Amino acid sequence: MSARRDVAVVGGATVKFGIRPATWPELAQEAGLALFRAVPALASADVDSLFVGAAEPERFAFQSHVAPLAAEQMGLTPHRILQRTELACASGQSAIRSAYAAIASGLSDVAVAVGVEKMNLPSMAEANTAMACVMDRPWDGVHGATAPPFFAMVAQRHMLEYGTTEDQLAAVSEKNHRFANANPTAQFHEKTFAREKLLSLPLVAPPLRLGDCSSMTDGAAAVVLTSGELARRYTDSPAWIRGSGQYSDFHNLANAGSLTDWVGLRRAGAEAFRSAGITPGDLDMAELHDCFTISEIVEYEALGLCPKGEGGRFVADGRSDLGGDLVVNPRGGLLGCGHPLGATGVAQAVEVFEQFAQKVDPRRQVPDPHWALVHNLSGSANVHSLMVYERGG
Amino acid sequence: MTEAAVELAKKKRPVEAAPSATGAASVPFLLDFYPLERDDQTRLARFYAALRDGRLTTTRCRRDGGLLWPPRTVCPRCHDDALDWVDLPMRGQIYAFSAVLAGAPLGMEGEVPFVVGLVDLDGAPLRLFGRIEGTPWTGVRIGQAVRVEAYTIPDGRVFYRFRMDGR
Ligand SMILES: [Zn+2]
Repeated sequence: MSARRDVAVVGGATVKFGIRPATWPELAQEAGLALFRAVPALASADVDSLFVGAAEPERFAFQSHVAPLAAEQMGLTPHRILQRTELACASGQSAIRSAYAAIASGLSDVAVAVGVEKMNLPSMAEANTAMACVMDRPWDGVHGATAPPFFAMVAQRHMLEYGTTEDQLAAVSEKNHRFANANPTAQFHEKTFAREKLLSLPLVAPPLRLGDCSSMTDGAAAVVLTSGELARRYTDSPAWIRGSGQYSDFHNLANAGSLTDWVGLRRAGAEAFRSAGITPGDLDMAELHDCFTISEIVEYEALGLCPKGEGGRFVADGRSDLGGDLVVNPRGGLLGCGHPLGATGVAQAVEVFEQFAQKVDPRRQVPDPHWALVHNLSGSANVHSLMVYERGG
Repeated sequence: MTEAAVELAKKKRPVEAAPSATGAASVPFLLDFYPLERDDQTRLARFYAALRDGRLTTTRCRRDGGLLWPPRTVCPRCHDDALDWVDLPMRGQIYAFSAVLAGAPLGMEGEVPFVVGLVDLDGAPLRLFGRIEGTPWTGVRIGQAVRVEAYTIPDGRVFYRFRMDGR
């Protein structure tokens, strides 16, 4: 591994997330427009490789072979590596991981990672079918369950085993929606997202309420990554990829083991920190996969940000907020930004880049951040993908 | 056509329409959740045949003795295909549950609200996911006893679910 080259994210952009009057190809065009505007020094001809994070275009947009489609929409002619990456909710980070691997190995010098997902359909029942297929379809999805009831069971067990409360779940949602209010690309701009209001919203999958769940969202985001020697051509503040970790230990729910101790995340987290040469206490910020409020709480614990079982107290005490131990989900999270499956992981990397450049809204700017962690889970938390970024100066 | 091709064509019987569990709506094949279960479609046809006889079964590895779920054709630990079919307990206890109150897939909208949960089978190291029938979600508690039951969907295929014991 000693021949590995340094790799940095040197720019990126996110399009407006939401229920968008736009098709999958139109979202890809928007991502290209936003990227080239955000990185003025980038020319189409510079880009040798394209990685396209897209979870279910076959279902949501009735379209396969989306990598060349995205290339055409964005005005790119990749000549080293062109591929689509699919890892459900982590498809966007997968695109970045693949671009990282390509550049680190020397196969690519300048690569774009774009994530695109169109999820709002005229038939939302068909969209729900698509979501149920993320699970082991003929054994688990067949029972009609999508993500909410699975994460509801995680919440139920966490409440039983550790005394976590609905109020602590709501504290995650309140924090992330407050940050989303300061992010113009977020789906939700709720003026009053107080805990009392969150606790009065309807149940989706008990004990989870509407405010505990991320939503079905249309969106896209793109970043450009380069080798170390090319980074300064595009930016004065590269976000260096210093570590990574990934772990998958089951797929069928029968093989999940404990619902509240995400062993895969503990292992992936340990590898991410080891490879970056840091400890959890070094982090200034983290983009954690808050597909549901309970997810963020279990993630604090598995990553070692707080002791096992104390994740609810950690957020309720403000330790993952501005002024706390580190800032978790200053972008607004999946809860506040929405969760276009393929775009989320890329939008998180855009956030890290912009936070490092200290050019986000002051209401969510992390003071002088140096180390950032990005995490995505996918499916029923059966895969965990992590990347560690260091600010260049 | 060669004789082999003729034989193959005979075997390619059309897949029946795919109704939902309630038969309320039928959906196109690629939106149908239920597994294909005939012996010309899957190597797990014995699972469905046993279920039709009221038995929940799975495969056990002959080499390491481990129970595998879902049933498989190769043990992932030993990479050996010497597996035996074994009967599983027909009773268990609820480990965790929730309910789908909104957002059901196509063909299941009419079944909302419904309960799903993870069930620890009595006397077997397996925790299976499935529908739990027999009581509204507000009446379900962790630790309650359930039994496994087979049910038939309108095109004749069979699957399993749980029912509150005594309901
Ligand atoms: Zn074995």
